[in-house]
Amino acid sequence: MQLRYVFSELGQGLRRNLSMHLAVVLTLFVSLTLVGMGVLLNQQANKAADHWGNQLQITVWLCKADDSNAACTGEVTDAQRDAVIAVVEENPEVSGHHLESREEAFEKVKELVGAERFEGPNPAATAEDMPESIWIELEDPDEYKGITSAVTGLDGVSGIRDMRQTLKPIYGSINALQWGALATAGFLVIAALLLVGNTIRLAAFARRKEIGIMRLVGASTLYIALPFLLEALVTALVGVTLAAGALGGFMYFGIHERAGDALKFMPWIGMEEYGVAVLCVALLGPLLTILPTLVLTRKYLKV
Amino acid sequence: MSINVIRFEKVTKAYPGHPQPALDQVSVDIDKGEFVFLVGSSGSGKSTFLRLVTREYRPTSGRVYVAGKEINRLANWKVPRLRREIGAVFQDFRLLPNKTVTENVAFALQVIGRSRADIKTLVPETLELVGLDGKGDRMPDELSGGEQQRVAVARAFVNRPQILIADEPTGNLDPTTSVGIMKLLDRINRTGTTVLMATHDAGIVDQMRKRVIELEHGRAVRDQAQGVYGSQA
Repeated sequence: MQLRYVFSELGQGLRRNLSMHLAVVLTLFVSLTLVGMGVLLNQQANKAADHWGNQLQITVWLCKADDSNAACTGEVTDAQRDAVIAVVEENPEVSGHHLESREEAFEKVKELVGAERFEGPNPAATAEDMPESIWIELEDPDEYKGITSAVTGLDGVSGIRDMRQTLKPIYGSINALQWGALATAGFLVIAALLLVGNTIRLAAFARRKEIGIMRLVGASTLYIALPFLLEALVTALVGVTLAAGALGGFMYFGIHERAGDALKFMPWIGMEEYGVAVLCVALLGPLLTILPTLVLTRKYLKV
Repeated sequence: MSINVIRFEKVTKAYPGHPQPALDQVSVDIDKGEFVFLVGSSGSGKSTFLRLVTREYRPTSGRVYVAGKEINRLANWKVPRLRREIGAVFQDFRLLPNKTVTENVAFALQVIGRSRADIKTLVPETLELVGLDGKGDRMPDELSGGEQQRVAVARAFVNRPQILIADEPTGNLDPTTSVGIMKLLDRINRTGTTVLMATHDAGIVDQMRKRVIELEHGRAVRDQAQGVYGSQA
């Protein structure tokens, strides 16, 4: 296939319809950025939930060797631990539970504060300083009094953490932002689809003579549609690149430079999560332009 | 034995919303190398006939064979291949105004993926054949109507199709220029290409004395070898 024509048409098409293409690129840019933000916030919520437990969880701290709680007489024994677990398992408010070892707790702290503070001759803490804990999943976040009172005062229990009240507003904000971003993105995605459709209609109209002759002399449908598909791909790539840049800016200036410093107790998303968001955007962008192009070129460029 | 390049078997074409079919039970055989005029008043079904040949339409009933293929059954993706066997010329020339004569003719080869070497030999050869030697760099608006139609013929013929269809090719031209175009179509016909031409131009039909198929209200009312425009002759 001779592609010279296709590429010269691509260049011409992009120039001829510049304002429409700019409109598509900008709409794509903003909508993809919002989708990426939604994905980032979702991952942020998951990350926080991994660390603290979600709203359905309460945590039972077991006694450690030199526990500050006077009720603790020493490190929790195997029998005490088993007894607490038995109580948890029997309680109807509990949907599940798991035991977090001292080492696991230590790893979490290291991850949050930075491993370097726990290395060398004078570490801030060791795994021995961490308590064991039982993470309890509730059937219903409002039904927790039974399990709390059942566990409180048991031998080997140092304390109970019910972070639902603390976490609720944080998760609430993250969720609201996430859904706000995705809903706005949804509207913009519709706008982007309509713009792509209009662009193709205009382009097909501007080229109707060429297209008519191409059909007449037996050019294949793919050959006729190729400049349109390439235009769609180019606008998608520009939109994706801009969105990836904006998300990168948000990660650096928003998370890394500001939030990460100001709210150290929170585990923040990093490069890995950014990668996931960019991947989503990079898949969605071309899909948003190429799918309507395929559908509409079939309609307007029928052989 | 003669070979049909176009064969209509009891072909009816009805358009939605029109009680009267545009073509009604038309059966016609056109052999390889024939020159055929399709005559009849406006609305008699000439254009529908041509569009069935190029497979822009499918018949409502009956069968249409073109270049050995039954077009009713031809898959959409095979239509471009069929069209490469058919060249088409129209009353309004349909040239690309922003391309030179050479580019207009080359365009037909480019978009079907012919090599640059092929284009370099075929385009000047065809321009010479249609009498536009030395005018390859002109833009269409620098040419007369007759010359523009020659460019259109060159574009239709450059891929050496089996069939050339012409829909009122002289409709916009004065009588002298029309004769030139007819001579050109006759020359193309002599290379073995089947020419099917729809026309209202009685003078030309009478002068050429080729086969005439007359359509009236969608029916083939006359099929006459070496015929004339009006049925009274």
